[in-house]
Amino acid sequence: MSTTVKRVYGYLAEFESASSLYKASEKVRDAGFRKWDCYTPYPVHGLDDAMGIKRSILPYFVFFGGLTGLATAFFLAYITQVGIYPTVVQGKPANIFTVPAFFPIMFELTVLFSGFTTLFGLLGLCQLPRWNHPLFASRQFHRSTDDGFFIAIEARDPKFSAEGTKGFLDEIGGANIELVEDDGN
Amino acid sequence: MGHMVTSADIPVDGEKIDGNKLQRIRTICGGIMVGGIAISFPILIAGMFVSDKAQGSYAYSWLYAFFFFTTLSLGGCFWTLLHNVSNSGWGVSVRRVMENVGFVFPFMIVFAIPFLFPQVQEFLYEWMAGHRSVPDNTALEDHLHHTNHLLYLKRWFLNIPFWYVRFFGYFAILGLVIYRLRKLSIDQDNDPNPGTKRLIRARRDSSWGVPVFALVLTFLSIDLVKTLDYKWFSTMWGVYIFAGSALNSMAVIILVTIALRRMGYLKNVVGPEHDHLMGKLAFAFTVFWAYISFDQYFLIWYANITEETRYFILRNTEGWNYVSLVLVFGHFVAPFLLLIRQDLKRRNGYMIIVALYLLGMHMIDVYHMIIPERGPSVGLVVDGKPELWLNGSFFGDIIAFVIVGAGFVFFLLRNIASAALYPNRDPRILESANVHN
Repeated sequence: MSTTVKRVYGYLAEFESASSLYKASEKVRDAGFRKWDCYTPYPVHGLDDAMGIKRSILPYFVFFGGLTGLATAFFLAYITQVGIYPTVVQGKPANIFTVPAFFPIMFELTVLFSGFTTLFGLLGLCQLPRWNHPLFASRQFHRSTDDGFFIAIEARDPKFSAEGTKGFLDEIGGANIELVEDDGN
Repeated sequence: MGHMVTSADIPVDGEKIDGNKLQRIRTICGGIMVGGIAISFPILIAGMFVSDKAQGSYAYSWLYAFFFFTTLSLGGCFWTLLHNVSNSGWGVSVRRVMENVGFVFPFMIVFAIPFLFPQVQEFLYEWMAGHRSVPDNTALEDHLHHTNHLLYLKRWFLNIPFWYVRFFGYFAILGLVIYRLRKLSIDQDNDPNPGTKRLIRARRDSSWGVPVFALVLTFLSIDLVKTLDYKWFSTMWGVYIFAGSALNSMAVIILVTIALRRMGYLKNVVGPEHDHLMGKLAFAFTVFWAYISFDQYFLIWYANITEETRYFILRNTEGWNYVSLVLVFGHFVAPFLLLIRQDLKRRNGYMIIVALYLLGMHMIDVYHMIIPERGPSVGLVVDGKPELWLNGSFFGDIIAFVIVGAGFVFFLLRNIASAALYPNRDPRILESANVHN
């Protein structure tokens, strides 16, 4: 007999179709839950509104990431091409008015830095990469990549209660409701 | 939109605009157009009432006004074609507006009539004057061969008969394309058994319509604007004009859809999602315009070839330099920042201001293409330097702009009033009305 204390992750409930999941998630949203998520085999249009997800702050990171790229490229080109080692091509002067020559590199580094900020900002906000997710302990959860539509409400949500949340999921049409425990991997 | 739009929300016979609401503005615009043409054509063609210099100056003003509004209508053709050929569902509810803006293009030939007259051409197109200076056609080749070798080599394209053929060809061919597409769309509105037949037909016709459009836009802009200086060439010219026309035509489409909704139409099928999508397209084409116009500048600046640099040397001389700088910051940086936010693109009041601002920048852009050539062509040479700016010529620009603009609005309103405001029996109208992005 195991003596390990397992931590409760939350409840997982299955829904029969994308539309019933959509309607159920509106009810979860209206019930005021915060720490919960939907799991579907494919993107469901409008689900983020039904879940009440606010806009991500990622675009602001990207904007400033892009500005950083722009400034980096400008100073890189300006310091090397004007300050340290001016290259005279076709008799063109090397000064601030030759900035059009730097535009391609400024454009490219803006795009590159924006791309990096998007990728790493996204990974950071999603808390990825990670080794495991507590929901992987569920035996039915693998169907979320095949034909299963799931809602999981986490135990750390302030509104969570062992009996109340189970009853609530049942009430909004969830099937196969399962208490998922973190198996500690 | 709070609920899903269903077929119960779509009127069976379509939504038509109440003609009386537009009657007054149509009468005013039509009056300005007819009166303006009645005064302008004699000035342009016969030089009546004014001096030679003012006649030449006004020819440039007229070209400016004509070309500005032609690019807007060409953009309408582009959006219609693109919408059909890409099999888009999102924009079915605004497609009729695109078609209406595009279908102004064939009517623009009314304003192009002066360009057919040698009296106007002699001010605008130096190469035509060069060709006409030799009365005997058989001696022309020989003459050009000895006096102007560049023009001699370009004679296969830059010759007067071919120019006239091309000129009518542009309006006839693209006019036919947009007429057929709009007709397919309108016929659907009254068909008791609307199916997907016309949808597929429109897609098929648009697939060859796109290259036709590209050729017409490129060569129309070459023939009317680029050959103001026949020595100059730029491989970016066609796509540069295209970038500006697609962007600003989208600004017109945004303005028309907002205006129609403020008048109480289109409410069931167009919402903030469409505003957002159209705002995104305007944003994309702001960046595209900057990319292309900078490329044109950059290639010429770097290559430093005599025939190419003249265009930008002229436009970076004295006052024109400020106009060039205004374009850099006003046509790219400002709209880029204005359009970058998602929530603002969904606000109609905000988008009205941005769309009008974009059109204002397009006015400066087209001005910057055409008008700098006016001083050196029409003005005098004082102390070995050509006049860059003709005093008083600005009034001509404003007058021509108002006249052609009134005509553009008149024909646009004619198109809007002549059919339902959205394709109510299109198979994908509900998909478009409920679009989500």
